[in-house]
Amino acid sequence: METFYDVMRRQGITRRSFLKYCSLTAAALGLGPSFAPKIAHAMETKERIPVLWLHGLECTCCSESFIRSAHPLAKDVVLSMLSLDYDDTIMAAAGHEAEAIVEEIVTKYKGRYLLAVEGNPPLNEDGMYCIIGGKPFTDQLTYASQHAKAIISWGSCASWGCVQAARPNPTRATPVHKVPGIGNKPIIKVPGCPPIAEVMTAVVTYILTFERFPELDRQGRPKMFYSQRIHDKCYRRPHFDAGQFVEKWDDEGAKKGYCLYKMGCKGPTTYNACSTVRWNGGLSFPIQAGHGCIGCSEDGFWDKGGFYDRLTDIHQFGIEANADEIGVGAATVVGAAAAAHAAVSAVKQARTKGDND
Amino acid sequence: MADQMADHSIETKQTAVYVYEAPVRIWHWINAFAIIALCVTGYFIGSPLPSVSSGEASDHYVMGYIRFVHFAAGYIFVIGFVFRAYWAIVGNSHSKEIFLPRIFSKDFWDELWHEVKWYSFLVNEPKKYTGHNPLAILAMHLMFVWGSIFMIISGLALYGEGAGMGSWQYQLFSSWFIPLMGQSQDVHTYHHLVMWLIIVFAIIHIYVAVREDIMSRQSIISSMISGWRLFKDNRPTDD
Amino acid sequence: MAIQTPNGFTLDTSGERVVVDPVTRIEGHMRCEVNVNSDNIITNAVSTGTMWRGLEVILKNRDPRDAWAFVQRICGVCTGTHALTSVRAVEDALKIEIPDNANSIRNIMQLSLEIHDHLVHFYHLHALDWVNPINALKADPRDTSALQKATGPRHPKSSPGYFRDIQNRLKKFVESGQLGPFKNGYWDNPAYILPPEADLMAVTHYLEALDFQKEIMKTRTIFGGKDPHPNWLVGGVPCPINIDGEGSVGAINMESLNHVRSIINQTIEFVDNVYIPDIIAIGKIYYDAGWHYGGGISGTDALAYGDIPDKPNDFSAANLMMPRGAIIKGNLNEVHEVDHRDPEQIQEFVPHSWYKYDDESKGLHPWDGVTDPSYELGPKTVGTKTDIKQLDEAAKYSWIKAPRWRGNAMEVGPLSRYLVGYASKHTEFTDQINDTLGALGNAPVSALFTTIGRTAARALEAQWCAYKQRYFLDKMIANIKAGDQTTANTESWDPSTWPKEVKGVGFTEAPRGALAHWIRIKDQKIENYQCVVPTTWNGSPRDNEGNIGAFEASLMNTKVERPHEPVEILRTIHSFDPCLACSTHVMGPDGEELAKVKVR
Repeated sequence: METFYDVMRRQGITRRSFLKYCSLTAAALGLGPSFAPKIAHAMETKERIPVLWLHGLECTCCSESFIRSAHPLAKDVVLSMLSLDYDDTIMAAAGHEAEAIVEEIVTKYKGRYLLAVEGNPPLNEDGMYCIIGGKPFTDQLTYASQHAKAIISWGSCASWGCVQAARPNPTRATPVHKVPGIGNKPIIKVPGCPPIAEVMTAVVTYILTFERFPELDRQGRPKMFYSQRIHDKCYRRPHFDAGQFVEKWDDEGAKKGYCLYKMGCKGPTTYNACSTVRWNGGLSFPIQAGHGCIGCSEDGFWDKGGFYDRLTDIHQFGIEANADEIGVGAATVVGAAAAAHAAVSAVKQARTKGDND
Repeated sequence: MADQMADHSIETKQTAVYVYEAPVRIWHWINAFAIIALCVTGYFIGSPLPSVSSGEASDHYVMGYIRFVHFAAGYIFVIGFVFRAYWAIVGNSHSKEIFLPRIFSKDFWDELWHEVKWYSFLVNEPKKYTGHNPLAILAMHLMFVWGSIFMIISGLALYGEGAGMGSWQYQLFSSWFIPLMGQSQDVHTYHHLVMWLIIVFAIIHIYVAVREDIMSRQSIISSMISGWRLFKDNRPTDD
Repeated sequence: MAIQTPNGFTLDTSGERVVVDPVTRIEGHMRCEVNVNSDNIITNAVSTGTMWRGLEVILKNRDPRDAWAFVQRICGVCTGTHALTSVRAVEDALKIEIPDNANSIRNIMQLSLEIHDHLVHFYHLHALDWVNPINALKADPRDTSALQKATGPRHPKSSPGYFRDIQNRLKKFVESGQLGPFKNGYWDNPAYILPPEADLMAVTHYLEALDFQKEIMKTRTIFGGKDPHPNWLVGGVPCPINIDGEGSVGAINMESLNHVRSIINQTIEFVDNVYIPDIIAIGKIYYDAGWHYGGGISGTDALAYGDIPDKPNDFSAANLMMPRGAIIKGNLNEVHEVDHRDPEQIQEFVPHSWYKYDDESKGLHPWDGVTDPSYELGPKTVGTKTDIKQLDEAAKYSWIKAPRWRGNAMEVGPLSRYLVGYASKHTEFTDQINDTLGALGNAPVSALFTTIGRTAARALEAQWCAYKQRYFLDKMIANIKAGDQTTANTESWDPSTWPKEVKGVGFTEAPRGALAHWIRIKDQKIENYQCVVPTTWNGSPRDNEGNIGAFEASLMNTKVERPHEPVEILRTIHSFDPCLACSTHVMGPDGEELAKVKVR
């Protein structure tokens, strides 16, 4: 079997730097130098960690993104780093033989397998808007979650709900961490529609390399990729500060690569690594290709008004309007009321004065 | 203005009480200008000016300056508010009014009702106060005090996003406030909406101040300049 | 007891019932049940879409300019094709004409999707139905090298050492005991007949294709910013062209065009030297062994909408480079015209779908469609509502509706497109088909109407698309040279310029087949949005007259080696490249369906 060490060697890493890496890892984990050989031994021989990759209501864009990873290659992740034992998009087995794998891994690797979830379960209609093996997907999900070491919520579906949970969420599609019966497990959210391929593989390899889970922010996202907004590191940011904006598609500003803020870009409110890691091997990202960010890694991004509006809609008032529309409306009404009140006051005052005189 | 007031005093035998201490008055006007600056720059952050169409990005800093003014005014507003809250503790009784309305007192509500009737032209004469009238207190408490608190928290939460996860703004505000509101975009939206609430409050505040100055039994606008409340009649006050 | 279907199949449910759920290596969730007689022949087939997301319900009252992003999320595998269909529907409704460059860019993006999708489908979803990776361990790498040099002589990676390395890696992998995606496969099933050297070659190309596929869609990243789910725009494309002006590094410039050309060249090489030879090699072995199953209705009822407009904004059959038309009842001498706006042509039926109509004996045109989800099982169902052991196909049994063209169940997809192209005597397609039939040993045209033919058509189309990408890149460069750098028409961008009430239809040829979206816009908002997608056609359940759909038909009369190991079932179902997330979320027209969706 090819171990982690073999993979590293094959990728051109020398024995010497491998051992150095092991002592650094030992130090990073807060262990003494005596642990370095143990880590090296484990890396040279350890079993690949089993992964169950379940699919609920989704569009498979997360899997599609995953296979586009340039470093590491998806091939190396699947063949040499993990043991991807269940993933209905690529697995050879089907039907009973496929279902049997879930049971086998859950029993055999209790507490030692990773559960990756793409998509989410619907709770309406007893869960039968998504059926696996004749039963609701929720059954499979909650069963597999019970003994998982941790859960990785791939993409915005599993993390937040995404498109099927957009208003009015007819199937009551529910993100993984809110599904009743999900065991009390660490949940790592890797949002995005889809997440960036290299971010997905980096989260996996981080866990394997450092043998711990990445540090998460308050909402459960790895800080290493989700602690800054796209805007913070956007290469068009100088145009924003300068006040140089695209005003219309394909205008002079667009051709010069000005800021897309006025075209509704959600970069200033979206936490993701698009402007730094970029997409498809660091080739480009939406803003670079002339379209604003639509905020696809943010909770409920479908329901924040049009993708081309700077100010988002507010639904809570029973009308769809943005803050400016509501504000200008209210200020106008109040201003008019004040003017009317002033007029009445003046008349009243004049009359009172008249009475007094 | 002084001449006018002098004229009035002769006719109506005004007496005067020192209501607004100097720090409160200075705060009031600094705060007023900070809010104006915040609203104007805030509006242009949401809906920027027409694009600067020539030159390198490094030649211009339009949005940068607008945002700088917004942040600077924001800090002045925050510090002013903290100071004002401090003054509510150490200042005179009037300085506490808008922070702690006497909402558990029946008189407060009775008087408030009277003020409502006064504004609805149902009574011919308002009551007489050295400080604010109860309606004004409640409006200031709800719209101004809580409005300010919301803007300070949401503003610092948004500022913390740019300052980064290690900043105190992020730690103290962004880290819990953004998830509470949903996501960053929602915080922007509500920050924007409450700006309009404060503008609406300001319209009412200014209108009522002017009106009261003319129609009520005490001075209003000049009090916030001189600190002295002047009364237009000799009858006892109601607070 | 046997039932005769109007479209020519004899259904017999007396044999043993075999259930496959989940059907894997597809997009989305699907179930399949078949009856197998004592000779191991499939005598009845039932295919069920097992998910529903309600996307069109969600689209109601949204900004039509945003719709592309929502419908793009119908499917992340055929990512972009729904978005393109959507912007076309909106542009049709609002009479927006897109610039020539935008048409070329959209076509390059759509073509790269076709190629990417076909390649990934064959190697990573479909190949394990033909190829046995465990058997590859028995191969002599020198034989594989010889096979490689014989079948794809221009592919540089062909040395025995190269194949030995791959074999060693595979060996280590298998010996680890952790088989990952190959776990619980049917590796001793006699349905796998390739010699070990062919298995090793195919497994090697599985890995090469996995590495290479990520290059193909980089054209979409250049023009659309990311992939999956690149960005689109009503009125054109969002990426501006600035070929030599100030700040041109911020737009499509010479460097990006060179990058696109390089990707196109690599793609052509891979398809020509690896994909096509593999298909011919594997196809011939199975065809020669007499495995001619899986035709179903592919040779009799085929539908193609056409795509890839040469000139922008002209969707007539003459201007579409992918064929358009319908063939019914096996008459290849007549290609019928297809009209998306004609209420008599495309209709959807629900008597066997988990939806309700007021009158289920009639079908509804998508502009007047109704979707009222109604999950109920027939009296002969075995199991319970949330634990189905066996479905009752006499009642409602799928989340997919049954679309019909003039009452006929139709097959869509690359094979249907090639059939329509062949029947239209379009030489680009007839030449490719004749070459392939020749390579299969001068096989008759009927060889196409099989699972193998369906899989082969996909490869041929990938090749056609690869070369067409180059055509559109050249066309765009010529246009830029002539002085036109426009990429978007913003005349009707502002919703206040729109008429009060309009409707439109947009269509594409998705990798899996004919796709169309129907939209009604009222007061600047979406009033109704309806998608009829390829897998709705192919995976449709029975209709009111009892016609079975393309999936079901294709399984009929197939011999299975071992009834409890669904190798042959998967092989044929996979040859359609099913996309279940696409097919199962159709909905209705007016404000009512929100109330009808049962929200508990």
